[in-house]
Amino acid sequence: MSTTPAPVIAPVAPEESRDGAAPLRADRTSLRPWQVATLVALLGFALFPAYWMVSTALDPRASTRGGSLLPSGLTPRHFSFVLGDGGFGAFLLNSALVAVVTVLISSAVALLAAVAVARFRFPLRRQILVMILVAQMVPLEALVIPLFLQARTLHMLNSLLGLAVVYLAFSLPFAVWQLRGFVAAVPVEVEEAAYVDGCGWGQMFLRVLLPLVAPGLVATSVFSFITAWNEFIFALTFLQDDDKYTVAVGLQKFFGEHTADWGPIMAASTLITVPVVVFFLLVQRNLVSGLAAGAVKG
Amino acid sequence: MSPVAQNPTKNPLATGPAKPSRMQRAGAWSRRMPLLPALIFVILLTQIPFVTTIVISFMKWNAYYPDEIVFAGLSNFVKVFTDVNARQAILVTIILTVSVVVISLLLGLGAALLLDHSFPGRGIVRTMMITPFLVVPVAAALLWKHALYNPVYGLFNGLLRLVFGENAPQPDWISEHPLWAVIVAIVWQWTPFMMLIILAGLQSRPLDVVEAARIDGATGRQIFTHMTLPHLRPFMELAALLGAINIVQNFDHVFTITSGGLGTANLPYYIYQTFYTAHDYGRASAAGVIVVIGTIIIATFALRTVFTIFNEETR
Repeated sequence: MSTTPAPVIAPVAPEESRDGAAPLRADRTSLRPWQVATLVALLGFALFPAYWMVSTALDPRASTRGGSLLPSGLTPRHFSFVLGDGGFGAFLLNSALVAVVTVLISSAVALLAAVAVARFRFPLRRQILVMILVAQMVPLEALVIPLFLQARTLHMLNSLLGLAVVYLAFSLPFAVWQLRGFVAAVPVEVEEAAYVDGCGWGQMFLRVLLPLVAPGLVATSVFSFITAWNEFIFALTFLQDDDKYTVAVGLQKFFGEHTADWGPIMAASTLITVPVVVFFLLVQRNLVSGLAAGAVKG
Repeated sequence: MSPVAQNPTKNPLATGPAKPSRMQRAGAWSRRMPLLPALIFVILLTQIPFVTTIVISFMKWNAYYPDEIVFAGLSNFVKVFTDVNARQAILVTIILTVSVVVISLLLGLGAALLLDHSFPGRGIVRTMMITPFLVVPVAAALLWKHALYNPVYGLFNGLLRLVFGENAPQPDWISEHPLWAVIVAIVWQWTPFMMLIILAGLQSRPLDVVEAARIDGATGRQIFTHMTLPHLRPFMELAALLGAINIVQNFDHVFTITSGGLGTANLPYYIYQTFYTAHDYGRASAAGVIVVIGTIIIATFALRTVFTIFNEETR
């Protein structure tokens, strides 16, 4: 049996009781006054712009708000305008479609590829890993050129599916690296035991490996989702028809037409941010530990 | 005893059995087969566009002259390095990336250290600190540009009026400090990411050792510089690496806040312009390749850390 070097931290099931609703482990010393002040300042820096966005979206006199900290009132008017005349309902659907396709395919493919690079020895394994990491460093703008030309040849320029394929290419490297750490952290002995008990590879994968790397899958799917949902430059260049726009492009174009209407613009910004927040809150218990485990394992 | 469980021969720690029998090897291959398509798919999808970019970077290829696509050697690279705009873009990219990474890393470290203490509502505070990371970048950039920086309607000048009265200075933030306007907006977005990774590092710190040090009379500062910081080093390096890779590529903020004007055009924006306005595919690709090379050089130090970890866990 091979030696299993002790991992830097034990990332198997690291989600338990560390994050989210469960109490965080903490230094026992409590905060001093200056520390409280610093924390409040940092919190203000983080939250205030977001508060400003949401409160302006609800302010009936958003355009002339200036420096008043509280909105002059609360109204859903801007939201209904954005969803109705602004066409953001369709944009949200487009983005959701692209993001869901990206997340599903990239999770499945990345997991299988991660098992391959984490578990098996084959020629050029290390080189392949480095190549995948380098692919992550290529600026999107550089890839626009080959992908744009390719999509034009395949007549996928104005298509949401074409966009999903592109996002897949962006989210896969990170997903493979992240999941590799999780797979590597599962002791090989656990797999061996499954084989000894008569499992085939498929059964072992579904019943043993998959549950153990589930936190990692959650973390990577969040990143794939955010990648696809937020992406701007490809959506801007690929999509030509209004009805195909994703939220980021929709917002940019909408802003162009309503330059001074802060209310609707901030309402649109809030609206397109909400799905990310919801998705994040649903999985945040697993996310931080997942990120950490994947990070430490490389 | 499956060959799957063996260490790679490169690993000196390997104490696996002798060569596996042919049957075992056949079994191993049957386990590998399902993974092969996925791996090939990943390699193809992530490598082909990049390889194509490299190929195009050596070609003279301008969409205005579709009949003159020929091999051009290094001329595209020479053009990029002799172009004043491109050199300016390289400089801006470096300044932008370094400032954003350093500032957001320090802020993230501070936030993570504070969140490592126990106080009521800690979970909620942590979630709230993450908010900027969740705002769609284009929306965040629009927010900073108009709701905060705008000289007439923006929050900052509104606050100045509120505090200093009618004669308060009313700077036009973006045109007076264009690069800083972009940097602050990106720092806002990236601090939570740094905080998350560092916080995860703090959570994995063995507290009993810290307790022991405290009992032995170590001061808070000593514990921080001799225990906490060394422990956090790989986490901070990783955060810096991932952050730098992403910030080098920043386009949304530059495009939205300044439209690349006022000396804020970074390399991604330069590529965008060369591609969409000048239609010079060759030169744009060359600039892209330069970004990749630059990123690799910058990242080498951090990469080394990643690979020490990588070596430790190969099996």
